[in-house]
Amino acid sequence: MANSKAAFAFEGVNLELGGRPILEDISFSVGRGEFACVIGASGCGKTTLLRLLAGLLTPTSGTVRVGGEPVTTPSREVAVVFQDYSRALLPWRTATGNVSLALEAMDVPAAERPQRIAPLLAKVGLTDHAEKYPTQLSGGMQQRLQIARSLAQDPSVLLMDEPFGALDAMTRQSLQDEVLRIASERQATVLFVTHDLEEALYLGDRVIALYSNPGRIARMVEIPLPRPRSQLATREHPEFLRLRRELFTVMEEIHA
Amino acid sequence: MRRWRGIIVPLAILVVAEIGFRVSIGASDSLAPPSRAMVALMSALGDGTLLANTARTLAGMLGGLAIGGAAGLAAGIAIGFSETLRRASFLTIELLRPIPSVALLPLSLLIFGFGYGMEIAVVAFATFWPALILTQNAVAQIEPRLIEVARLMGLSRLETAWKIVLPAAAPRLMTALRLSAGLALVVAVTAEIVSNPQGLGHDLMIAQETLRPERMFGVLFWVGLIGWGKNAALLRLERWLFSHRGEVDTSVAA
Amino acid sequence: MSTINRIPGPVMGVAGLALVILVWHLVTAGGFVSKAFLSSPAATWDALQRGLVSGELTGQLRATMLRMINGWLLASVVAIALGSVIGISQTARDFLRPTLAFLRSLPASAIIPIAISLVGLGPSMVLGVVVFGSVWPTLLATVQGFATIEPRLRDVAQVVHLSRAAFIWKIGLPNAVPDIIAGMRLSLTVALILSVIGEMLSGQEGLGTAILLAARAFRAPELYAGIAMLGLIGLVSSYGLLIAERRIVRWR
Repeated sequence: MANSKAAFAFEGVNLELGGRPILEDISFSVGRGEFACVIGASGCGKTTLLRLLAGLLTPTSGTVRVGGEPVTTPSREVAVVFQDYSRALLPWRTATGNVSLALEAMDVPAAERPQRIAPLLAKVGLTDHAEKYPTQLSGGMQQRLQIARSLAQDPSVLLMDEPFGALDAMTRQSLQDEVLRIASERQATVLFVTHDLEEALYLGDRVIALYSNPGRIARMVEIPLPRPRSQLATREHPEFLRLRRELFTVMEEIHA
Repeated sequence: MRRWRGIIVPLAILVVAEIGFRVSIGASDSLAPPSRAMVALMSALGDGTLLANTARTLAGMLGGLAIGGAAGLAAGIAIGFSETLRRASFLTIELLRPIPSVALLPLSLLIFGFGYGMEIAVVAFATFWPALILTQNAVAQIEPRLIEVARLMGLSRLETAWKIVLPAAAPRLMTALRLSAGLALVVAVTAEIVSNPQGLGHDLMIAQETLRPERMFGVLFWVGLIGWGKNAALLRLERWLFSHRGEVDTSVAA
Repeated sequence: MSTINRIPGPVMGVAGLALVILVWHLVTAGGFVSKAFLSSPAATWDALQRGLVSGELTGQLRATMLRMINGWLLASVVAIALGSVIGISQTARDFLRPTLAFLRSLPASAIIPIAISLVGLGPSMVLGVVVFGSVWPTLLATVQGFATIEPRLRDVAQVVHLSRAAFIWKIGLPNAVPDIIAGMRLSLTVALILSVIGEMLSGQEGLGTAILLAARAFRAPELYAGIAMLGLIGLVSSYGLLIAERRIVRWR
């Protein structure tokens, strides 16, 4: 899905922290509306990749671009969904209040906020829980709340850092489908970090596998599976199985 | 039945004291049986003197707590967020902090004379340090992920302080307030016992000097009641404010 | 901005202190505050030196310190002994918890009028007050320390037929040590405070009396020198205990 202006791109990015090389020579670009998944072993730098895109880190050399412009500081164009949802939500605000925070940061007038929050909560299925506090919500619901908040920013790029890692299998599957639905509705560009190969294949248009120590691109594979994806049908698709076999060996290499 | 065990000891002590006094001593300039102490307490409450003194002590305590607490809070936040400030102030704080507040009573008396001024000044000094240190700790323990989220959303520094830092630190700040309030009361009463001729502490001393032990013990009990009641009330307030977050710290001041 | 971060901590601390002393000097030199209320750093230092050299300040320092330490040690022994007996017995704790909670909220200085009433204003009164007031933090901490003994250890003690005394000594005490030391630190603070108050009220020799007299005579340098000495006692005792605590806990 090549585009004249990529949604985001890494150009020869290297990152050293405390003298140690974390990422080496990362170069790839992701087009608008594409769903890219990054997989790799723990500590391979995939989260670091995400933080570079978010503007929380600056590369030692090379450039990170979003919408053609180099990334220097965090911007509202890029929204992040973290794995530790309970720590990323404000425990003293209700679900509505948490989503509102993003709007407040954008200086949306108070009168306008309710009509923007309601559809976002509806989109993630939390309308009935709008006045509950995070501690009163299940893990899956808290994660959906975080997603709703990130969407409130109206971002062009959505970054998700192993968002379903702390959830049980059933919740994970339903949230996977929700994310796909939301992403396609908004034509959003997504960078999705995970250690779960099957999740990456299920969700992505492209999978990028990273080596560890330092993080380097091992393989980049296009995923030509039909959309919309389905938990049962897609996972039994011959192409899915073929890609899984192919990347399985890569994963073993990575973990070696 | 087990719940009532706690009451037995105080009751037993009171009964023994009562009987012991009546049987062996009869009359004394320095001791009084619980019954007479209670009577004295009731009459002191009735004629308004005790309440007036209580108000004076509370005024001294709250005035000092407001000043010392606010200053400690502001300094604690500033130091908590600035590594430079923290390292520059560390030595000075460690040298000034151990000065016992009683050591400042003569100085305070010299500067302010008798009255609220001297008491508030000493209470402010005493409460400044725990407020400072506990606020520093509260700031240091704020969930870093939340600060990151604020940065990613583009919240200004002021917005971050108001919407993230303060609410996040609020439970611990509330605990700090409770502990500081306990200290404030103790220091206020102490100031009144040693140098300030007003309030509950002074009441105690006068009762002793005028050989009215029943009033002395009555007021003593009242002081304990106030301290205990204040702590219980603040604890309840903490629970009510923060229970939906699941973060109440029930540590009690020594 | 990052160059400031590279200056080592202690240097920054000294610089901060120097800044404070400079401001202090400027305030007194500029006459913003009356000399009777705030003596200059130089005058305070002078008074400090004179007092130490002549032995007067040292004598007062010693008197207060001895009072504080003697009272504190005595109180600690009583508190630990009593606290351990109360602490290991769930029954005793049940009976005594409300009483102890109430007593905890009493200002230690409030017993002074009662002590004066009973014993008068002599040196034994002051020591008695110090002991009585310092008992509580350590007592409560000891009870707390013994109350939190791992139940499994009690089972073990029963199986091995450990006597109550042996249980206290071999299992209870080591387990309670961190709590006890924390309590003792608080007790020491209380002991210092009560020593000073006791001196101020009874006129017994010590730093408390010294600063009271200095204030009455408007001799600010001596007053501040005395305050500094009291601060020094506070500093040394808290750090001393901290070091002792680390030593003791290291054995575990």
